[in-house]
Amino acid sequence: MTNGTEHVIEVENLTKRYGELLAVNDLSFTVRKGEVFAFLGANGAGKTTTVEIIETLRTPTSGKVRLLGMDVTKKKRDLVHRIGVLPQGFCSFDRITVRETLQYYSRLVGCRNTDVEGLIALADLKDKTHEPFMNLSGGLKQRLGIAVALVNDPEVVFLDEPTTGLDPRARREVWKVLLGLKNKGKTTFLTTHYMEEAERLADRVAILSKGKIVALDSPGNLIENHANHMVLTLQSADASAPEIIRKIGFEPVHDNHRNLKVRLERADDVQKILNAIQEGGATFLGLDVRKPNLEEVFLGLTGEALHEDPADGRGAE
Amino acid sequence: MNLRVVGANLVVSLKTFYREKTAVFFRIAFPVLLILVFGTIFMDKDDRVFDLYVQDLDQTKASEQLVEQVHLGGKFKITPITPAASAIQYAKDHKLNLVISIPKGFEKSLMQRMALGDPGASVTFTVVYDPSASAAATKMQVLDLMLAEMNQEMSGKPPFIRSAKTSILAKKYRFIEFFVPGIIAMTVMTSSLFGAVNVNAELRQKGVIRKLSTTPITRTDWILSNILYQFILAALATMVILVVSYAVFHVSLRINAWLPVFVVLDVFAFVGLGMMLTRVAKEAESAAAAANAFMFPMMFLSGTFFPVEMMPAFLQKFARILPLYYVNEGLRASMVSVDHVASLRYAAVIGVFAAVVFVLGMMTTTLSEEAA
Repeated sequence: MTNGTEHVIEVENLTKRYGELLAVNDLSFTVRKGEVFAFLGANGAGKTTTVEIIETLRTPTSGKVRLLGMDVTKKKRDLVHRIGVLPQGFCSFDRITVRETLQYYSRLVGCRNTDVEGLIALADLKDKTHEPFMNLSGGLKQRLGIAVALVNDPEVVFLDEPTTGLDPRARREVWKVLLGLKNKGKTTFLTTHYMEEAERLADRVAILSKGKIVALDSPGNLIENHANHMVLTLQSADASAPEIIRKIGFEPVHDNHRNLKVRLERADDVQKILNAIQEGGATFLGLDVRKPNLEEVFLGLTGEALHEDPADGRGAE
Repeated sequence: MNLRVVGANLVVSLKTFYREKTAVFFRIAFPVLLILVFGTIFMDKDDRVFDLYVQDLDQTKASEQLVEQVHLGGKFKITPITPAASAIQYAKDHKLNLVISIPKGFEKSLMQRMALGDPGASVTFTVVYDPSASAAATKMQVLDLMLAEMNQEMSGKPPFIRSAKTSILAKKYRFIEFFVPGIIAMTVMTSSLFGAVNVNAELRQKGVIRKLSTTPITRTDWILSNILYQFILAALATMVILVVSYAVFHVSLRINAWLPVFVVLDVFAFVGLGMMLTRVAKEAESAAAAANAFMFPMMFLSGTFFPVEMMPAFLQKFARILPLYYVNEGLRASMVSVDHVASLRYAAVIGVFAAVVFVLGMMTTTLSEEAA
């Protein structure tokens, strides 16, 4: 194990089996104090199982997990007072208002001095304080869930898929709250299957596939180390453009926005492609050359597509 | 155990109940409605007056006097039918369940019997009835009794066998006074059973228990707060039922220490059963269906709405294995007949059942996601 004062979470050779299913396969990693650490993986990668073991909700099949210097299998009662958890698919009592929900959880964790108004402000729920939980939208529910996770001013916050199932606008509103949390220097353990979420919020990202960590680094380093190529994007290119590009030895693909993307190994390949298109008489509206993003790194490392499963949000992975 | 946690949970449960209007209706208003409806139906059961349609084909002074005598008996409100009509057709056309027809020659036969002492002189009344109407059988029984009394009087001899009725109860009780304890038992049962199922299955399915499992709340805190909540609801429902019963029907029920004993045992028994059902059927819908499967036989076969003695022998035996039967009988023994020995006997049976199922329910209830 590494230095216990610096690392608030230490996981060593963690394995979890559900019968024949190997959900978590020999994981080892640490989370430093004050950092935002993200688990990035497709559905069923083992994110929730791992985080629930660290949160003391599940017991590992084998391996060691220390949270705040304590063994999670032996010190549950001590640890629950020091951590905050937003479980996957957070839900509360339908007819209890936002303020009452925060007061309720504050009493449960034994806090006499919870700053309920401060939490309401942090989650941007000021105009919803008297609204019952059942009347809140998905995004508001998640923001309340984050506020609930903070009622005991925890040393570590676990956020399990905080934006799953939300529309893009609601997702961005939740990110705003999470960025506020990051700016406060809270140690945060985030699980997500949204690249942009991990890229925006996390200091370090562990890419998880089939219960194993396949890469762990800062988003920038992951891209730097796992993507030593460039991507040329041609916007609204002619139908003849793909054939022209193929003739000179490249393999163009269309993305979701009908743009043409070409993987380049060398910088002068850009000029080569542009010349060929000009000579072939094809046209395009604009172009962009850049390093690949985290999504492309993820695809390259795991071979798995990340997409939202509508049924997601319940049950362990 | 943490009383602060128990208190917080109790407050949330009570607020949820108060704000859920359908829950208030089904747990408080519905039993009151039952009391009002059944109480009104059976309020004057003992002094009930039936409708009787009479066709007088004789149209004489004697037949007129007979009809008047039946009317004066107080059991029937007489409506005459024209002699020109066919009694059967009239009954069909007017959907009547009982029509009695006095035959032509009634006065003549009566005179033969009374004045001339001819023992062979007799008349036959035609009774047209609808066998599908349960009221017809009751009416015919009452009518037969009245006719038997008339025959007895006409014989001029006093009856040889007479009966003297003595109630085992100190005073005369009405149907409503037997009905109210049954409604209290049933209301507490449904509230406790479905309360436990809702709390444990619905909240788990929604993910609320998943969140609670990340807090310091323990299984003991959780169960204690839920049982306290059920006690409060049971006490509230019992009070409302009794207040309505006293205010509207002026019931004469004795309230003593056995009432809270049976209510508490009722709560423990059915909260325990609810917790066990939740463990077996984890989905909220299937747990509610399982609760219904237990509740309905108990509601209808354990003597809540009608006496167990009215049922066939095998169902009477079945009723005696239903826990609600012992709550019903126990409450009646304490509130109606004030029989402390019987109350103790019933309390012992339901007490043992409650202890066993509640302990099993506690053992099977968990807040842990892993064990769920």
